Amino acid sequence: MFARRFFISLPIFTFIFILQESVVTQFKLFGGGFSLFLIFALLWSALGTPEMGALTGFGAGLLMDLSQSASGPMGQWTLIMILAGFTVSYLGYGDDNFRGNPISLIFTVAAAVVVIRVIYLILGLLLGSDIGSTWSVLVSLFSSAFWSAAIAPLLLPVVTRIHETLFDVKSRI
Amino acid sequence: MRSGGDNRGRLLLISLIVTALFLITLDLRGVQVITGLRNGSQSALSPFQSVAATIFRPVGNFFSDVTQLGRTRGEIERLKAANEKLQKELIDRKNADAELAQLKSVLDLAGTAKYKVVNAKVISLGSTSSFTQTITIDAGTNNGVRQNMTVISGLGLVGVVKISYPNSALVQLTTDPAFKVGARVAGSQQIGILSGQGTSKAVLQLLDNQTTLKVGDVILARGSVNNRPFVPGVPIGQVTAVDNAAGAVTQTADVKLYVNFSALSTVAVVISAPKVDPRDALVPRAPVPTPVPTVTIYAQPSESPAP
Repeated sequence: MFARRFFISLPIFTFIFILQESVVTQFKLFGGGFSLFLIFALLWSALGTPEMGALTGFGAGLLMDLSQSASGPMGQWTLIMILAGFTVSYLGYGDDNFRGNPISLIFTVAAAVVVIRVIYLILGLLLGSDIGSTWSVLVSLFSSAFWSAAIAPLLLPVVTRIHETLFDVKSRI
Repeated sequence: MRSGGDNRGRLLLISLIVTALFLITLDLRGVQVITGLRNGSQSALSPFQSVAATIFRPVGNFFSDVTQLGRTRGEIERLKAANEKLQKELIDRKNADAELAQLKSVLDLAGTAKYKVVNAKVISLGSTSSFTQTITIDAGTNNGVRQNMTVISGLGLVGVVKISYPNSALVQLTTDPAFKVGARVAGSQQIGILSGQGTSKAVLQLLDNQTTLKVGDVILARGSVNNRPFVPGVPIGQVTAVDNAAGAVTQTADVKLYVNFSALSTVAVVISAPKVDPRDALVPRAPVPTPVPTVTIYAQPSESPAP
């Protein structure tokens, strides 16, 4: 079942990845803008089981590692996204109060984006990457939280509708 | 929340984490396959990125401008100020170039005739409401400029100093209706009196009715006693029309003045002239026509194909 869902999700994620890399990157937004792909992956993970969330994170992380803008070694995003996907879906799995409330889902995704980036930063530091000035890091983290909170509500209905259509699960909010 | 995962889920999670760590290790060890994967993905993405850049870049710049509105406005103001400054410098430079060209031509003219001159800048144009045609120059008695001295430009006679102040002087232009100068025709040496008409044309009246004028004749200043108010040999203009009215006592002609009085910026006051009359040495040279190369093309019909 995991493999079937994974391969069904793959074209969608590839499409969103192309959209992110070719279209979203054209917009010069405050603080570096947002990652449509990251928000999409986290929302997608939040609607599934923890195992499916981890698998989703794995696929999404692999694609993010293939991006030219990825500064770390191949696998860094994969590792982080596995844990992020698992955690986000684990938090809401079986809790209808959580999944039925879009605000909590949006808040979780916005917070997760910041946490993921902080972990990526720390892991990058451990692996010897340069992170730039502290101020730019803070501005980037703050803006990513802001943009995620702004974009996630717009993306949420789309994600839930696709998820419901593909997997016939009552996850629509 | 769920209390925990089953063994299958844990195995999957561990497998995925191990795979990710394996990838990190491979990449840090410099395995070429990983680099190739990234390069391949970029190669696949680049056509999409090119198309998106073409379509969305203007919109992207718009968003960039919106988010940087304050800074952009400041930048625009700064660039506007810089642009104004550069434009002013450019105008000043063009002005300086024009003045330099005029100065060079007037010095060339004065040098050819061996006039001793004082250069001056035109600092004011006379009032047109008084029907007089005058200019004010920034050289006066302190510079050796006196009343009744000839004023020239690079093209010829400008006028005569009417009043001289310590640091400036009033010059009556050749175009002034009250202006009169003794003139002669270059070559034939016929003499006459040239009068200003208030326009860029003047009228020449010959003194001798036995001679004839023709269109294109060059008119020069004849010169005065002790070279004041006019030094000899200064070009004035060219005959454009001759009045051969029957019964006229003397022949008259319209003379197109050489000097462009609307573009005067630098002039020279002749403070002393050579003892020898330059005669026709200052007559402007006729323009030499530039040969135009002609190209002849010979076209031959090709042989018709055999049936």
